[in-house]
Amino acid sequence: MALSADELKAAMVEKAEKSPKPALYVKDFYACDPDSKPRVIKNIANELVREGKLMFWSSGSTTMYATPSRVKNDDREDGV
Amino acid sequence: MAKHETPLLDQLETGPWPSFVTDLKKQAETKPEVYDILGQLELSYEDRITHWKHGGIVGVFGYGGGIVGRYSDMPEKFPGVQHFHTIRVAQPASKYYSSDNLRALMTLWEKHGSGVTNFHGSTGDIILLGTKTENLEPFFWDLTHELGQDLGGSGSNLRTPACCLGSSRCEWSCYDTQEVCYQLTLKYQDEIHRPAFPYKFKFKFSGCPNDCVAAIARSDISVIGTWRDEIRIDQAAVKEYVAGNYPANGGAHSGRDWGKFDLQKEVIDICPTQCMWLEGDELKIDDKECTRCMHCINVMPRALRPGAEQGASILIGAKAPILEGAQMSTLIIPFMKISKDDEYEDLIELIEKVWDWWMEIGKNRERVGETMQRVGLPTFIKVMEIDPIPQMIKEPRSNPYVFWNEEEVPGGFARDIDEFRARHKA
Ligand code: SF4
Ligand code: SF4
Repeated sequence: MALSADELKAAMVEKAEKSPKPALYVKDFYACDPDSKPRVIKNIANELVREGKLMFWSSGSTTMYATPSRVKNDDREDGV
Repeated sequence: MAKHETPLLDQLETGPWPSFVTDLKKQAETKPEVYDILGQLELSYEDRITHWKHGGIVGVFGYGGGIVGRYSDMPEKFPGVQHFHTIRVAQPASKYYSSDNLRALMTLWEKHGSGVTNFHGSTGDIILLGTKTENLEPFFWDLTHELGQDLGGSGSNLRTPACCLGSSRCEWSCYDTQEVCYQLTLKYQDEIHRPAFPYKFKFKFSGCPNDCVAAIARSDISVIGTWRDEIRIDQAAVKEYVAGNYPANGGAHSGRDWGKFDLQKEVIDICPTQCMWLEGDELKIDDKECTRCMHCINVMPRALRPGAEQGASILIGAKAPILEGAQMSTLIIPFMKISKDDEYEDLIELIEKVWDWWMEIGKNRERVGETMQRVGLPTFIKVMEIDPIPQMIKEPRSNPYVFWNEEEVPGGFARDIDEFRARHKA
C-alpha cells in the first residue's frame, strides 16, 4: 500500500539528507515508495520545496532537489 | 566598470549585417555592466572556452523554473557579470505583441536588469539576459502585477508551449493552433512552473505541414496540422498559373527572373511521391499517395488548398541538443481531430499517457525521444496502445525471423525460457 503524504514527505527528506549525492533528481525519490506513482512523488517533492524543506537546484536544462543545508546558500556555488 | 579592449569582437561589426556587438556597446553607455559582457566574451574568443557558469538555486518563490542562474567564472575581472541570471518570460501565442506591451516590458527590464534581450529563445520565450539575484522578486512582482505576464518554463519542466500563426493569419492552418496552445498552457501551469519530469518536455503546434515552429525538429510532442481528404483544386486557377497570370509561390523568390512558370518541372516532377499528373490541362492528384509535403500548395496557393477534413498528425520524440545530433520526432498518430468542442480530449489523453510512461521509465536527463529509442518503437507503441502503421517503418525487414508474443498466438503458448536456456546456450 502506498505511503501517506506525511510518511512520504518524511522518507523523501530523509533520503535527501542521507544520500551520498547532495542533490537528487525527482526520479531518485521514487524508491522512497515504489507504490506511489511518479506524479505523486513529484507533487510531494514540489510541496516540500514550498514548505522550505527541500530546494531546487537547476542547471537551466534540468532540475534537482536538495535540502537547504546541503546546498550552499552562496549563489556562486554551482554543480552541487 | 571599465571598457575592455575587444579587437576580435570589433571585427564582427565590419560585416554587412547588423551586429550584436554594436548593440551591446550602445547598451553599455547606460548599463556599464554590459562592458563586462563584451570583455568576457572577448576573453572567451581568445581562450576558446566559455567563461559563464550556469545553474544554481536562484528562482522566485513558488516557481521552480523560468529563471536560470548564470555567473561569471572570472568575477574579479568582470564584476558587472558576477551574477547575470537569465529570465524566461512566456511569449504570447504566435508571438503577437502590441508595441505598448513591448515598451512596458523593456522599461521593466531596464529597471531591474541589464536591458539585454534575446527575442526569442529556441523554446519561444522572451529571454531577458542578465540580472542580479536581489532583482528577481521585484521584477517578477512587476511582471505579473503590472503587465499580467508570466515566466516560461525551464529545467525539468514543461517548456512554454509554442505555436505558429495558425488561423489568425494563415489560410493553410488545419486547426486553431493559438487556441490549443493557450488552453494547454493554462491546463499545465503546474508542469510549466515546477519540475515534473526526468528532463525538459516541449509541445509545439504548427497549423500545417510547413511546420513554421519547427515542431518536428524540436518538440517532444509535435502537433502538425493535416487533412485526410483530398487537396482542393481550383482548375481555373491552375490555368492562370500556367498562363503566367498568377505569380508562383505567392510572389516569393521574385528577386530573380526564373523564366516562365513550368507546372511540369516546378511542381509535378518534384512531387516527392510522384502522385500528380496532367490529363489534358486538368491537374490530377492521387491523394492516397500524397505525403502532405505542401510543395504544390506552396507554389500555387490560389489553385490548391489543404483538404476540408482537417486535424493534426501527432509526432513524438524530437530533440535538438547542442552536442549530439538532432533527432526528428516520429509519426505516432497520423490523424487526430483537434477540437475545442471536446476540450482537446484525445490530445490530452495522449499527452498524459506519454508523461505517465516516461516519468516511470525515462532515465534522468533522458528526453522522451531517447527513451523511445532505448526501448524501441514496437514497445513504445504497445505501451501507448497504438497499432503500427506503414509510416513507422523505415525500410522493409531484412530479418527473416518472425517473433510472436504469447497473446498474439491463438491459444497462446507456455514456455520456460530458463529451462530452454539450460539446454540451449544463447
Ligand atoms: S505552419 Fe502552416 S499554418 Fe502555420 S503559419 Fe506556417 S504555413 Fe501557416
Ligand atoms: S502535397 Fe506534396 S506529396 Fe502531396 S501532391 Fe503536393 S507535392 Fe505531392
